[in-house]
Amino acid sequence: MHIVLPRDASLDGHLVDGAIGYLTLTTGIAFAAALAFLLAAIFFHRAHARRTRGQHTHGNRPRDRALMFTVALVMFVAIDVTLALRTSRDLESHFWRYPDADPNALRVEVTAQQWAWTFRTAGPDGRFGTPDDVVTLNELDIPVGHPIYLKLRSRDVVHSLYLPNFRTKIDAIPGMTTRIWFQATEPGRFEIACAQHCGVNHYKMRGLLTARLEPEYRDWLARAETDSRLRYDPAAPATTGAWDWETGK
Amino acid sequence: MSDREEIASAEGQNGEQEEIPPAPTGFLRRYVFSIDHKVIGRQFLFLGLGFLAIGGLMAMLIRWQLARPGAPVPIVGKLLFGPSGGVISPVAYTALFTMHGTIMIFFAVTPILIGGFGNFCLPLLIGARDMAFPRLNMASFWTMFAATAILTASFFVPLGPPEAGWTAYATLSTTIGAPGPGQTLWVVAIYLNGASSVMGAVNYITTVLRMRAPGMTYLRMPLTVWGFFLTSILNALFVPVLAAAMVLLFFDRVLGTQFFIAGTTPGAGGDPILYQHLFWLFGHPEVYILILPAWGIVGDLLAFFARKPLFGYRVTVGALIAVVVLSTVVYGHHMFTTGMSPLLGESFMLLTMIISVPTSLIVFSWLGTLWRGAIRMATPMLFCLGMVFTFGVGGLTGLYLADITADIYLHDTYFVVGHFHLIMASALLMSLFAAVYFWFPKMFGRMMNEGLGKLHFWLTFVPLNLVFMGQLVIGYEGMQRRLYDPSVYDFLKPLLPLNRGISHAAYLLGAAQLIFVVNFFGSLARGARAAANPWEVGTLEWTVASPPPHHNFDQIPIVVRGPHELSHPAARALGRDWLGQAEVIETVPAPEPTAPTSTEPA
Repeated sequence: MHIVLPRDASLDGHLVDGAIGYLTLTTGIAFAAALAFLLAAIFFHRAHARRTRGQHTHGNRPRDRALMFTVALVMFVAIDVTLALRTSRDLESHFWRYPDADPNALRVEVTAQQWAWTFRTAGPDGRFGTPDDVVTLNELDIPVGHPIYLKLRSRDVVHSLYLPNFRTKIDAIPGMTTRIWFQATEPGRFEIACAQHCGVNHYKMRGLLTARLEPEYRDWLARAETDSRLRYDPAAPATTGAWDWETGK
Repeated sequence: MSDREEIASAEGQNGEQEEIPPAPTGFLRRYVFSIDHKVIGRQFLFLGLGFLAIGGLMAMLIRWQLARPGAPVPIVGKLLFGPSGGVISPVAYTALFTMHGTIMIFFAVTPILIGGFGNFCLPLLIGARDMAFPRLNMASFWTMFAATAILTASFFVPLGPPEAGWTAYATLSTTIGAPGPGQTLWVVAIYLNGASSVMGAVNYITTVLRMRAPGMTYLRMPLTVWGFFLTSILNALFVPVLAAAMVLLFFDRVLGTQFFIAGTTPGAGGDPILYQHLFWLFGHPEVYILILPAWGIVGDLLAFFARKPLFGYRVTVGALIAVVVLSTVVYGHHMFTTGMSPLLGESFMLLTMIISVPTSLIVFSWLGTLWRGAIRMATPMLFCLGMVFTFGVGGLTGLYLADITADIYLHDTYFVVGHFHLIMASALLMSLFAAVYFWFPKMFGRMMNEGLGKLHFWLTFVPLNLVFMGQLVIGYEGMQRRLYDPSVYDFLKPLLPLNRGISHAAYLLGAAQLIFVVNFFGSLARGARAAANPWEVGTLEWTVASPPPHHNFDQIPIVVRGPHELSHPAARALGRDWLGQAEVIETVPAPEPTAPTSTEPA
């Protein structure tokens, strides 16, 4: 059996994999030690006759307590505190450091509904809700090497945008706007999933993310913009789901 | 103070023994509307075991669909899923996992553990004749019964049973996602279930505070009693929060309010996240509500069958109390992907991790108890040891979900499913079985079959770990929860053989429970008559006949020592290795210089 995480195509996914790896190593050691102790106790201290007696101790002596607290604290520091510090650093320097001021970031407004994703980028004018917006259904096309900055809303129930190959996930919640960012490091086609149970067809709420290198992405974008402009109809509800990126209005 | 002096002073305080009320004679009063905690305990036990079977069969159907998506279910398919030709439809699948979770947590484990064993054990273990409020106790059972009837009714209403998952997140659980009356019945059933729990909690707390036999100090209580006592405190504090969520959800569904509705209908200014806060403010303590009695039972039983006092009883009690306090401030780790504020997220992460300190102290107490014991491998002990193993895996995998970066990837995957099943369906189930095998003689006056019990253990323990560790693996590989057909996703297609393997292990696990059913009912009818104290332990319930008389104790015992006085040097003169909690021995010999003994009284 081959146990592997999905292929990591993201800039920061290795931090997630690192945290998971650290946990598997340290908790594995702790569990193996406890299990060895348990099996040894069963092996050496089994009653072989009804008359066998155990040791009469309540384990309330200071040295018993010192031992218990020492092992518990060593485990806490070695596993939990170490991990929490590492995670805190990663969150603040990567995952929660949104590219608000980054001119290279691709901004995408995501609208979730039962059971589809709508992705909207602002187009050349940089403003959402205008005729040059590029709107795609269940498909997200991104350039490699640029931060991709998503803001999400939902039109009905709670959904969760899940990108296994980018090690990230964020809920789309009616009535509020959530956000997430990631960056692709290689071109390819990757799956977009819904992770939060959102009704009977939750399992079909699948999308496709295509990451392209810069020149191919430019070509695709030019075609998509022309296409969007031709399709644009001010009377149709095609513009719904757009909001002003900064104010949320 | 010697035993004699202590008894004399206790008798002085106690004054005259209270009058013993006569046992009821009519059928209804004895078996149906009984106010006897032992009968009510058995009622809860049977109700819970029945729903455990139903919930388990639902799990089998879920596993069938994941092993062979879209294949007709053999044997029962035509009967259950006739309109779709025996195939589980997406609608049916959604209803199945919703009801599986709901039933297992609220209608199987809760009634068996808290209603069943809590009721049966508490008065007997603290030396009382009944609960503080026997009629409230009866009301608690019949409220639970009404809840089960309403939940069952939700299967047979137009638009079908509830489908919003056992967590029933808004807005999926409002009329936006679930227009049918099935979800409304679900809300009412959960509310009534909570009402039953609160009635029980008030009763258990009062009973432990007021009804302990003379000399039964808090630090002489069996850990089982501590477990039920602390659980009841959490129940009394946090089930009302769930009830509040249910009331608001009911208003949203029936009266057209918009507490949890936003962004969908114009002007809706509610907040779906408010539901999640309310649900998990209850929901995380709920995990401890269920595991605390299990920890208590396993702590007691490990000491009993290792023939050794519990290692670090006081540290363990302190750890249990610490867990209770901490359990109230960690629930946010269920909501890391809702975009909560960084400060809140990191606080919840750290608080969740701090819980691992008292939890590891509890595990060390178990390990220390086994070391240098004289371990008797009876069936209850096997299940306790199995519980220690699965709790280890389940507890440690919890750290992955406490850590925000790891959780952002693992949240809502099968890793979560595997983790909480290792706690709720493995550690908890193992301690339930340990409790059934251990107290069955006291409950029904007959012994269960040891050979079948051991076979049941091995055929449960092995497949159970395969199932839930397999779920950890497919979650690690990225598979989301609650997917009708994972093969919709290309990256999940290679997981089908593993899913199939998990399902086969699950079928074996399900089939093995038939051994338990045969053993349970066979022993009920024809088991060997149980002596008063078949396990040779010192807690109070084993001083009375099996099953106990209606009033439990002819004379309220006067407790002189802790619950785990096993391998006690003073018992050697009596030709055995244990001393009862209320047993008076004439001369307490000085501790032998060679044998290491405690420097403190237990």
